[in-house]
Amino acid sequence: MSSHQREARATNRIAVAFGVTAAAAVGLAITYGLGGQSQVEGALLAIALGGLGYGFVEVAKHLLPQGPYVEEREQLVATPEDVASFEQALERGQPWLSRRGFLVKMLGLAAGALGIAALFPLRSLGPNPGRTLFHTRWRKGTFVVDEQGERVRVDTLDVGGAITVFPQGSVGVENSQTMLIRLTDRDFVTRDGRETWGPEGYVAFSKVCTHAGCPVGLYQQQFKKLLCPCHQSTFDVPDAASVSFGPATRPLPQLPLMIDDDGFLRSQSDYEEPIGPGFWNRGR
Amino acid sequence: MRRKPVAVTLVGLMVLATCLAVGFVSIGGAGAGGGDGNSAGDADSDPDAVRRGRELYLTGCSSCHGTAARGTDIAPDLHGVGAAAADFQLSTGRMPDTDPDRQPEPKPPAYTRAEIDDLVAYVASLGGGPPIPDVDHPRGDLQAGGVLYRQVCQACHSAAGNGGALSLGNDAPTLHGATPVEVAEAIRTGPSNMPVFGPDTLTNRQVNSIVRYVDYLRDPDNPGGAPLGLVGPITEGLVAIVLGLGFLMLVTRWIEPRSMRDEPQGPLIHE
Repeated sequence: MSSHQREARATNRIAVAFGVTAAAAVGLAITYGLGGQSQVEGALLAIALGGLGYGFVEVAKHLLPQGPYVEEREQLVATPEDVASFEQALERGQPWLSRRGFLVKMLGLAAGALGIAALFPLRSLGPNPGRTLFHTRWRKGTFVVDEQGERVRVDTLDVGGAITVFPQGSVGVENSQTMLIRLTDRDFVTRDGRETWGPEGYVAFSKVCTHAGCPVGLYQQQFKKLLCPCHQSTFDVPDAASVSFGPATRPLPQLPLMIDDDGFLRSQSDYEEPIGPGFWNRGR
Repeated sequence: MRRKPVAVTLVGLMVLATCLAVGFVSIGGAGAGGGDGNSAGDADSDPDAVRRGRELYLTGCSSCHGTAARGTDIAPDLHGVGAAAADFQLSTGRMPDTDPDRQPEPKPPAYTRAEIDDLVAYVASLGGGPPIPDVDHPRGDLQAGGVLYRQVCQACHSAAGNGGALSLGNDAPTLHGATPVEVAEAIRTGPSNMPVFGPDTLTNRQVNSIVRYVDYLRDPDNPGGAPLGLVGPITEGLVAIVLGLGFLMLVTRWIEPRSMRDEPQGPLIHE
């Protein structure tokens, strides 16, 4: 096959490719005009751009002159004249520098001011959280509400039930999210000194993992364990949410609950220890 | 030898289980007396169905749950579990189970629908527990169901209802194969490691909405085209890298002129 014939065939293919692009573009416009369908539009756009690309590559491969071409490379060594003129240019600045005058001092001022200004964003590492990490929105007597803001009553959960709860008025506040679990229908004691914390079998634990702060929302009712989805820390709920598996090192803090005379669940106080992951002054 | 003989241990466990069971039933009875409107209507159950169910129970279930359905050390007491739990476990094939040490797996049911109905009637006749829920999910609110699903169900069953891993060899199953009634039964009874959501936690209306959303998740709108199993960035990344990059590599090979492909590779140095 002669090169002339090859060129003619390539020309035909390129013409067809550009024609396909035009047809797909019209189709794209029509599809859009008819209300659009994202998959069809995507496919038509891919065909349109693909035809264009195919055409360009065929032009490059068959119609343009082919290489490879080798060009003579220039000498990379500088001539003595070049070296001399460069040295001369460099030395022209020396008298200016050696005067060490006013301008050099101003340059020092500018650089110094810029350096000091660059220190100011360090403040963005703050503000100091102060005591905010030690408290949540739970207070003495705060009503326990579900994610819809409805107050939780003593009969809200069946034995074996578990929901996420918040302090009334603070639904969605991250540091106050709490898992409410009903273990039995009798008062439940997880630790000595927590005798009144689990009325009617309701126990409540911070939902913020003590490892990396993920929400510990996977309650395994049969084993009575809370599982953190991020790193599989597992907390044994009846044993005061002690860690039975995973990277967490501290139990989930327990919220002391009480049931008021009208049957509503309320907190006896805030958590007695900071919730969530550790921080540098947690022990203070 | 400090170990007790196995027989003694087994008898001890069975005695313990029976004591516990009796304890639970007396509590359950007291609770039912409170009238929470949540127990199966024993009055309208068919005595013939209960009798047939008991026969099936004695041949198929009693080896684990005990002849009086009081439970053993490998299977729970069936007093107080109710019709919904029995129907869920039997119609999803989780019961009869083959390995009590592991989470029951769904499989084709071992009994016909009529036999399951009889067994359910028998378990319901033992008293207590929620009845089979009356699901009317087309009347549920899809949007509200989506909100509730994300609040209550998503943590374990995944945003797309594909299920997910738990600890200790257990998992939250996929929801795509479950019928509306099975989803509602699971909500009400909390099978295996699932928490229980009674009518005071989620109203029937809310359950209808959740079931409608779960039903929607079987064939959700996918504005991006192929959902790739809706399991997230792992499959999506795999497709992008293997198919996308693979195709681009083929294209670069095609773009390269043949004449350059055949050029012997060597340094071009001109002294």
